[in-house]
Amino acid sequence: MQKFISEQNLHTLLDKLIAEGTRVVAPRMNAGTPLYEPLKSASEMVADQLPRRSGKEAFFPLCEDIMTYEKEGQKVTLKDIDPARFPETVLVGVRPCDAAAIPVLDAVFSWDYKDEFFLERRKKTTIVGLACTSADDACFCTAVGLSPSETRGSDLFLTPLEDGGYACESYSEKGEALIKGHLELFAEPGNSRAVSLAQPQTEKFDLKKVKAWLDEHFEDSSWDSIATRCVGCGACAFVCPVCHCFDIVDEGTEKSGKRRKNWDACGFWKFTHHASGHNPRDQQPKRYRNRIMHKFKYYEDKFGQTLCTGCGRCIRLCPVGIDIAQIVEEISKK
Amino acid sequence: MCDHTNKNIYLPYLATVEEVIDETPDVRTLRLVFQDEQVRENFTFRAGQFGEYSAFGAGESTFCIASSPTRTGHIECCFRSVGRVTEELRRLEVGDTMGVRGPYGNSFPIEEFFGKNLVFVAGGIALPPLRTLIWNCLDWRDKFGDITIVYGARTESDLVYKRELKEWQERADVRLVKTVDPGGNGPEWDGKVGFVPTILEEAAPSADNTIALVCGPPIMIKFTLPVLEKLGFTDEQVYTTLENRMKCGLGKCGRCNVGNVYVCKDGPVFTAKQVKAMPMEF
Amino acid sequence: MTKSIDTSIYAAVSEAIRAEAQRILSDGTVTAIVGYAAARRKGSAQPIVISSADDAAKLIFTPACVNNLAVYLTKAKKEIPKKGKVGIVVKGCDLKALSGLMGESQLKREDLYLIGVPCAGVLASTVQPATELTSDSIAPKCTECDAQLPGGCDFVPPQAPLTPGQTRKYAAEIARLEALTPAERWAYWKEQFSKCIKCYACRQVCPFCFCEQCLCDRNKPQMVDTTPRPAGNTAWHIVRAMHLAGRCAGCAECERVCPMDIPLNLLNRKMAKELKELYDYEAGFEVNDKGPLNSYTEKDDQSFIK
Repeated sequence: MQKFISEQNLHTLLDKLIAEGTRVVAPRMNAGTPLYEPLKSASEMVADQLPRRSGKEAFFPLCEDIMTYEKEGQKVTLKDIDPARFPETVLVGVRPCDAAAIPVLDAVFSWDYKDEFFLERRKKTTIVGLACTSADDACFCTAVGLSPSETRGSDLFLTPLEDGGYACESYSEKGEALIKGHLELFAEPGNSRAVSLAQPQTEKFDLKKVKAWLDEHFEDSSWDSIATRCVGCGACAFVCPVCHCFDIVDEGTEKSGKRRKNWDACGFWKFTHHASGHNPRDQQPKRYRNRIMHKFKYYEDKFGQTLCTGCGRCIRLCPVGIDIAQIVEEISKK
Repeated sequence: MCDHTNKNIYLPYLATVEEVIDETPDVRTLRLVFQDEQVRENFTFRAGQFGEYSAFGAGESTFCIASSPTRTGHIECCFRSVGRVTEELRRLEVGDTMGVRGPYGNSFPIEEFFGKNLVFVAGGIALPPLRTLIWNCLDWRDKFGDITIVYGARTESDLVYKRELKEWQERADVRLVKTVDPGGNGPEWDGKVGFVPTILEEAAPSADNTIALVCGPPIMIKFTLPVLEKLGFTDEQVYTTLENRMKCGLGKCGRCNVGNVYVCKDGPVFTAKQVKAMPMEF
Repeated sequence: MTKSIDTSIYAAVSEAIRAEAQRILSDGTVTAIVGYAAARRKGSAQPIVISSADDAAKLIFTPACVNNLAVYLTKAKKEIPKKGKVGIVVKGCDLKALSGLMGESQLKREDLYLIGVPCAGVLASTVQPATELTSDSIAPKCTECDAQLPGGCDFVPPQAPLTPGQTRKYAAEIARLEALTPAERWAYWKEQFSKCIKCYACRQVCPFCFCEQCLCDRNKPQMVDTTPRPAGNTAWHIVRAMHLAGRCAGCAECERVCPMDIPLNLLNRKMAKELKELYDYEAGFEVNDKGPLNSYTEKDDQSFIK
C-alpha cells in the first residue's frame, strides 16, 4: 500500500498513538545524546540524527528482568515476567541499517528455544523505517548488501520528499494496519520526488570471499595486527544493531531480588573466563577474532545471514579507531 | 526431553536439596528433588546432558547432570566450590531450595554403544559427566561387553564418589583401575600410583569393538588421546565432553562457542574426531 | 566566536617524529615504538605499534591523534611487547599519565624513550576526524592545557605551538555545577549516569585502570552491581572517580571514548580541583611515589574530624 503523509500528520499520528496508550519509540535527545526512546510527544522526535545506540533495544533491552525470587526460610517463590507487560509499540524513524537488523536477530532468538522476551516484543511492535539522507565515511551499509532505502525489517517505510512530507509504503500487515487505522492522516501518493538519499562510499564486499577466507584462517598472524590495539571494552558490541550476546545475573538481597539479562560483549576478558581461571580466549586478538568470525562466518554458518548491517557505529565509537569496514575489505582482498 | 510448558525459557524449576554429600574437602554432591509434582514425573534426560543450577541471589552455574537417567525421582549435581554461585550452592543445606534449568545439550549416543566394550577414563573432578553414563550402563549391564574404568586424581582425598569406587571395585563385572599422582597416596592406598595416561597405557584395554569415554582436565586429555591412539582406538571410537563458560545453555547468549560449534547446543558430548576438527578455543 | 587554531607545525612535527623513529629503531635504541598512523577515514588517525625502521614512515601527528598511548604500556595491555626499551609518542597530557605510572612503579623511565609532541590541541570526540581544529572543534581538555611542550622527554621536535587564549571549558562547567544546590547537582549526575551502558570503555582506555582485576569485575563479594541501572552505574563512576583522585592528570580519554557522552573528565577535574585546594597537589608534573590520598602529614586538613 502506497500513501503520502505530511510531516504535520506524521506528528499527529504519533501523538494520537501516544494518547491511545501505544508506546511510541523514536530517536530523541537524552541529556544531549540521541537515543531510541519512548516519546512523550511527537515533537521530541529528532529524525535527522542516527541514534547512538541501535534500535535493537526496543526488542532486546540493555537490561531486563527475567524473573524475581523471594526467599522465606527454605522456601523460594519465583515470579515470572508477564509478557502482557510488553506494550504495543510503534518504533518510528528507524534507519534502514537498524530496521534490517531486526530480522537478522529473529534468527537467533527464535531458533530452537524461543526467547519470548524478544519475540513477544517483536509481535507487538510495528517498525516504521525512514530512508537515510546522510552518511559519513564510517557508513558501509551498501558494502554489506543494504542501502539507504533498504526496506527489510520495516513494516512501513517513509521516504522524505523534496516538497515536504513522506512517501509511505507498507511492507507487512502491521504496516498496512497502521495506515488503515488512521486513514484520514494519509493521502494518495503525489508526484513529489524523493530527496536525494545518503550515498555511502564503501564498495560492496564480496562476503562469500570473506567467509571463505575466515573458514580457513582461524589461526592467522593478521589477527594480531588487526587487534593488538583493541583495549577490550564493549563499546562496539553495545552500539551494534545485531550484537546480541548477553549475561544473566542475580541482583538483590538475601531475601529477594531479580534475575536480569544484560548486554554483554565478546571483547571483555571476563566473557569466556572460567571460574577455574582458565580462559579459552586469553588474549585480546582472540576476542576480536571472535567478533569478526561471529559476524561474517559463524552466523552465516548457522543462520545463513551476515551479522552486520554496516551502520558504522563501531567504527565511529571505537576508542582506538578499529575499523571493521577496512578489516573486512582487506580480508575480501586476501 | 523436558517440555517447557512455561514460555519463559530462562525460568528455572525449583528443587529441594534432599541430600548433601561431601566428595572431597571442596567437591560436593547435591541430590535434588523437583518441587513441582508434574516436573518430578515428567523430567527426563539422557546421560551427558547438563543443567543450569541457581543459587538465588548469586546466579546460575553450569554442570552436567551427574546422576544416571535410570535412577529416577531425583537428580544429582556435583561441583567444586570455586566461584560466587558454587560457593552459595555449597551453603545450601538439606531442605533448602535451589533452581534447575535443563536438561540441555546433546548426550552420549548410548544406543550406539550396545554390544560394545566400554573404557571410561576420567581425572579428578571430571568423573561426574562419565558417572552418569557409567551407572546408566551398569543398570543396563547386559547390553554391554567389558566395562573398564580408569580413574585418577592428584591425591586420595581428591577422588570423588569414593563409596561408588569401592562398589565398582567389588563388582565382578567392572574392572576399576584407580590411581593417584605420585606422592598423592597414603599408607592405606590400594590403587595404582601414576598419572592417568600412564596407568591407562599399563591397563592396556583392547580397542577391539570398544568405545573410550574420556573426561578430565585439558592436560590429561592431551596426554590420554595419544595413548588411546597407540592402543588402536580411532578418533571415532573416542568420546569426550567439553565445558566452556555458559550463561543461557540455550544457544542464545553467545559465549560457549568453539569456532562455530556451540557447546551448549552441539555438545557437550563430542567424538575425538570432532574435537580435533575444532579450533583451539576451549 | 570561533577562532581557528594554527596546526601548521604538525607537518614538520610529523616529519621529525618519523626521522627520530627511524633512527632509534635502526640503531637499536628501542625495540618498538607506540605512535599514531593515518587510518582509512578521511583525516583519521589510530594507534600503531611499529618494530621495524621501515615502518617509521607510517607515523604521523595531526589533530586527530587523540589517544593517550600510555595505556599501551601498562600491564592491562599484555599484547604489546615490553621487551627492551620502548619508544612512545606523547603529548604533554599523555606524559602526565606516564609520570604517574612511573610514580606508581608501573613503568621505569629507563625502559622508555619518550618522543614528545609540541601540541596545539587535538579534536573533540564529537566532530568528524577531518574537521579543522578551531576553538569549537578542539577537545575540551585542550582549552585548559598547561603542557603544550612536554618536558623531560628524550626527543622533542623543535617547533613551538601557538594557541590563542581559550575559555577553560571544565573550569566553567565546574563553576556552573558548584553554583547549583546539592539536589540540582545530584539530578544532573543522575541523568548523566543513567545513560551509562557499562561498556567499560572509560576503564579500558584509562592508563591508571591497570588493576589485574577491576573491583567491578570481581564478584566475591559483588561490590558494584554489574547491571547498567542507576545504582550500579552511580557506584561504578563514583568508585572510579575516587580511585583516580590524585592520580588522574586529565588526559580525558574516559570522556572522549564514552559512547554515551557522559562528562567523566568533569568528575576527575573536580576531584583534581579539590586536591589542589586541600593539599596543593597536582598530579602529573613530577614522578611522585605517593599522592596525597595515600600519604599522611600532620599538615593535612583535619577539620572533618569532629
